[in-house]
Amino acid sequence: MTLSIPLHLLVLLPMIAGAAGFFLPKRTYHQLLFVVNVGVVLIALSIFRDVRWSGEIVQRMADWPDWIAIKLVADLYSAPLVVLTALFFAATFLFSTRADYLDKTFLFLFVLLESALIAVFLSGDLFNIYVLIELGMLLIAILIMYKQDKQSVYDAMLYLMMNFIAMAFMLLGIGYLYRMTGVLDLAGLHQRLAHMGNPRAAVVPYALIMTSIAVKAALFPLFSWLPRAHGAPSAPSIVSAVLSGVQVKAGVYLLVRISQTFSPVIDAAPFFMLLGFVTSVVGFLLAIAQKDIKLILAYHTVSQVGLIVMGLHLGSEVAFWGGMYHIVNHALFKGLLFLTAGIIIEEYGSRSYAEIRGVLRHMPAIGIGTLAGVLGITGAPFFNGSISKYFIQQGLQGDLGGIGMFLINLGTTLSFVKYSVILFGKPAATVKPQRDPYVAGISLLFGLACLAGGLFGGPTVALVYGPQYSAAGALGLEKIVTFVLTLVIAVAAYLLIVKRIGGFLLRVRTFKVSFNQITVLLTLFFVGLMGYTWWTV
Amino acid sequence: MAFIAQLQMADLAVALFFLGLYGAMSQRNIIKTIMSVGIMDLGAITFFMLANHPADAKPPISSTPAVQMADPVPQALMITAIVIGVSVIAMCLAMYMRVAYRYGTADWNILIRRLEK
Repeated sequence: MTLSIPLHLLVLLPMIAGAAGFFLPKRTYHQLLFVVNVGVVLIALSIFRDVRWSGEIVQRMADWPDWIAIKLVADLYSAPLVVLTALFFAATFLFSTRADYLDKTFLFLFVLLESALIAVFLSGDLFNIYVLIELGMLLIAILIMYKQDKQSVYDAMLYLMMNFIAMAFMLLGIGYLYRMTGVLDLAGLHQRLAHMGNPRAAVVPYALIMTSIAVKAALFPLFSWLPRAHGAPSAPSIVSAVLSGVQVKAGVYLLVRISQTFSPVIDAAPFFMLLGFVTSVVGFLLAIAQKDIKLILAYHTVSQVGLIVMGLHLGSEVAFWGGMYHIVNHALFKGLLFLTAGIIIEEYGSRSYAEIRGVLRHMPAIGIGTLAGVLGITGAPFFNGSISKYFIQQGLQGDLGGIGMFLINLGTTLSFVKYSVILFGKPAATVKPQRDPYVAGISLLFGLACLAGGLFGGPTVALVYGPQYSAAGALGLEKIVTFVLTLVIAVAAYLLIVKRIGGFLLRVRTFKVSFNQITVLLTLFFVGLMGYTWWTV
Repeated sequence: MAFIAQLQMADLAVALFFLGLYGAMSQRNIIKTIMSVGIMDLGAITFFMLANHPADAKPPISSTPAVQMADPVPQALMITAIVIGVSVIAMCLAMYMRVAYRYGTADWNILIRRLEK
């Protein structure tokens, strides 16, 4: 007998705990939120178990009839992401146990962000999704300018205004859809759209909504907000980790969700596949040009999101689940890298990769964690990145796809050769760093998770999503040789090319897009997407 | 000019949306871009409000017979959207004040040049 747990508990629990415990002293409040988060993880796990083995859970609020009620849906796409979000927040609360930069307001906003993210994943109603994304957007804008130093207020303002324009697009799109179909429920929309006489009528709302989601998922050329938000100098590392680990994935998840809703009339998979590839290439090119270690990681998120979007839209089932698995993997290693980067920056008092040396010797636990993250993200054999990249690669056809994948791998490795410089060498400081068992523990735990995700890649995908694929090929001799070869080429390229074009990289690094140009790009993207769908429908 | 005579309120709302978009693309003054974005949002809200709204519809208040009512759903939803829009714009303006005090300019292009490296 299974006890059915209401889904809205997952959304309300962090929010209510955050509000009710606000009068407590800071330390107790922090502990309370951590305990609540462990509870949320357990609930999410039990819901995931129900979804995985007894089918999706649909919950209509207030018992209104179907299509009228606001719905919460937990299915195979959303349930693993909810577990991931809950785990991630629990880990960051534990990670920051001894951090002194946190105050109660910050913790409250942070836990609200968790509620908003979980609610986006669970929501089955388009307008609800709109409201929740707006809530998340406001919270993130406050969190990234929380310390208000340097240009963070500018970063936050640019982030907020760009996303607000995107949300206006989404609102207009939802208006069109409601006018045409009379429902806002995603499942209802799916059915009504299938019975629509003229598929071209759905082109305008599709383009409007997808443009706003492309901004959320940071696709080319709309990603300029992402490095500012994720790499913001003033944002605490746990905020960066959560933004890169989970929040961007909400955009990717919505991309899949809304595409499926529109699938009876519109299929723009080739468009998004190509866009994913371009995003990935541009992302790592910009990452190579950066000096600030947090910005290297932030541009790298752009690149990896491109890879995920490419995998999801290749039209092959293996690549689709590979993309889904890469979402989880990317959350693990990028979260780990951002968390450790925050500690490294604090310890060395510098953000430039050229000034940080010898992390492995100076702070062994952080160093090993970083190394595991780097190995994971470059797709080294036995680490989790290799498995999901292998699955995505299986969906590629022909030489062109292979070359493209090799290019992305090479770029990733190249930018992380640059990043790993900080690990080796002699540390300048002789003072022993303070030991923080929570920080070290979480870093090592995430690193272990990266390794475990690689060693048991095939079984993990089978356990979480169902389909059985053999990942044995990812550990084959051929793959290992390819990886070593890529590494050698990347190191050679780093020494011979990247180190000698400093002036050019400086120009790329300091190039900034103004708000007006961002809006023009957004409009162009909208027109392009509309033209493409109009042409192909 | 039959084209103009056939225009409905909803078409004008869409036009307002794109007018706001044009403002956000072309204005260099930060306050004006914030206003433009607000206009976009209001255009979208007006468009949504007019969904399933026949010309002679009555407000959806309890005593109105159901057949004469305007569709209540958009009206209920748009209250939420208006509140969100107001709060986001208030926040944009608050951030603008910070930026203006710090860098002493209201122009996006000058602002970019004055940012710390």
